Amino acid sequence: MKLKHREENGVVIIEPKGKIMGGPESTALHDLLHDLIEQGKIKVVIDLSKVDWMNSTGLGLLISGLTTLKKAEGELKLTNVTDKIKSLLAITKLVTVFKSYDSVDEAINSF
Amino acid sequence: MDKPQIVKDGIIIPSSTDFLADVDKYLEEKFSDAGVDPSIMTDVAISVSELVNNAIIHGNKSDMTKRVDIRFSVTDTVLKVIIIDEGEGFDADTVENPIDDDNLLKEVGRGIFIVKSFVDDVQITAGSEGGTRVEITKNF
Repeated sequence: MKLKHREENGVVIIEPKGKIMGGPESTALHDLLHDLIEQGKIKVVIDLSKVDWMNSTGLGLLISGLTTLKKAEGELKLTNVTDKIKSLLAITKLVTVFKSYDSVDEAINSF
Repeated sequence: MDKPQIVKDGIIIPSSTDFLADVDKYLEEKFSDAGVDPSIMTDVAISVSELVNNAIIHGNKSDMTKRVDIRFSVTDTVLKVIIIDEGEGFDADTVENPIDDDNLLKEVGRGIFIVKSFVDDVQITAGSEGGTRVEITKNF
């Protein structure tokens, strides 16, 4: 997995790319979210358009991000969720936990 | 053993998640050679990544002297993967239901649940030389 991020209208958009399967690179997302909170950046959108697939480790990272940001009175939202990840969120009932949007703009405007 | 080893019909890795990508690359090449549909490939790749993670972390406790053995076979209609660790065994019945409301925000505990959703059969047994043997079957 590779990780890029940018900021737009006070919202940080994180763009992971590749497969999120639990290798050493997976901690990068966790570390980035913690760095952002330390900088007071607590409105975060994760754009999943370039994620081929993820497993339960990836879902765990998203949950960690969601709960960590919530504790900091921030919010994490998802966008461009691919069909495979949608099916993962549905079977694990996490679809009820995450707010997801069809586009980055829609996600940004929702804050 | 300090690096992955390609063997007949499979790959054997040391107990580190550093090597998950090697397993995935191996399976992707095998699936492509066998002409497996990409969606089926993804379901099995996700399942294997879950089971190899479990074997490394929960089975072998990330002990680099222990190995995880992954074997793969495919026919015209059935794809099988067998994952064997060298740990102390695993009781799948002790895993809590990850979709219970109380467990929904837990960061771990969904692996086997996801595997059972993505493949047609999962058999978890004791390995012949100790450890845990997991065999998954995907029909297509």
